[in-house]
Amino acid sequence: MIRRTGVTVAAGMLISVLTAAALAQTLPPRKEGGKPAGSRPARSVPRAADGRPDLSGIWITGALQLLIGDAEAAAIRQADAAAGRQPLPRPEPPPYKPEAEARRQAYVARRGIDDPMARCFLSGVPRITTRPLPFQILQMRGQVVLLYEAHHAFRVIPTDGRPHPDDIEPSFLGDSVARWEGNTLVVDVIGFNEKTWLAGVGTIHSDKLHVTERYTRDSYETIRYEVTMDDPEVFTRPWHQVEILRLRPNERLREYECIENNEDLLRFENLLQTDPALKDAPRR
Amino acid sequence: MKALALAASILLGTGALFAHHSFAAEYDGTKPVTVTGTVAKVDWTNPHIHFYVDVTDEAGVVTQWKFEGYPPNMLVRQGWKRDVTMRPGDVVTVFGWRARTDPNLGASREVTFANGSKLASGPPAGTGGQ
Repeated sequence: MIRRTGVTVAAGMLISVLTAAALAQTLPPRKEGGKPAGSRPARSVPRAADGRPDLSGIWITGALQLLIGDAEAAAIRQADAAAGRQPLPRPEPPPYKPEAEARRQAYVARRGIDDPMARCFLSGVPRITTRPLPFQILQMRGQVVLLYEAHHAFRVIPTDGRPHPDDIEPSFLGDSVARWEGNTLVVDVIGFNEKTWLAGVGTIHSDKLHVTERYTRDSYETIRYEVTMDDPEVFTRPWHQVEILRLRPNERLREYECIENNEDLLRFENLLQTDPALKDAPRR
Repeated sequence: MKALALAASILLGTGALFAHHSFAAEYDGTKPVTVTGTVAKVDWTNPHIHFYVDVTDEAGVVTQWKFEGYPPNMLVRQGWKRDVTMRPGDVVTVFGWRARTDPNLGASREVTFANGSKLASGPPAGTGGQ
């Protein structure tokens, strides 16, 4: 019974995606903001005083359509094609162990209503990177600072060779230290709590999560962002994801205070009491 | 059917990118709705805006619809201006999808204004991006 309901819901959602894709063709262009980075003349990768690539700037990734609208997202894709940039590979599914995959499927069956983000919890790494809100990188001597519009969160990441501290408390964003490998900034993140999802609905992890982020500024306009999530408690092998970060030269960070008027909390409670699919679906 | 379910699961279960919550949690992407009416109120707040539209049927009965939209930061990046783009008294047509339970609640996708211009107001169904 539960399985049939899940299939019906999933099929309905897939149809919705296809419908939305068709609708997206009819929506108007946005009216203000930066031009697509790809439309500018080619410029070389900027360098910091120490000769390393300078990652500083305001960047976006992930759901371009949500952040900057259909027309500009399409223009960016066209610029990618014109520049010969290969499209990203299809995201690989998370290599969960059977028990963890069962937990993920339970969350999917509950339509994502348990998402910590919907309750305004701080997103972890790497999910905060792929939120459709911009973030800023400030690269300076001995450290890199990441400022996220989402939750006005920050990460101060030493690049001076120091190790992780020995008094880490489990946290949403974990503890980060970084090093340079050639032109790539490699960020090592540990010390997570278990209160975040990694990428989408039900992408759980344990406090053994170990994330490695690799930031490579492969053009003036882009950073190739590769992330490896290793968690022996839930994965059979490390989970890899690749994203493109896009420079937004005319952007500025704004305040995003999630909890201001989060009516979803009350609606969720109502749905959990009244929606048969949610009442019957197991809560993991 | 299994293949369809698997495709949807991968697409929505791990690949979807949300700003705040899953679309499917509250809304039904198989139930589109379009209404025309007069804006009664706009709540320009995070994590979503909400706006209220008074819709009059053929019998003259007024029903107030409530629509959810993108958060303010995403709206301004797509051309909206607070207290300018949509104000109480404006006549608008809203396209979106119905909520699963509340009969007069919807997830808005696009607003058409009296002068015929259109702006995106929320994410496509299924991407869950609000």
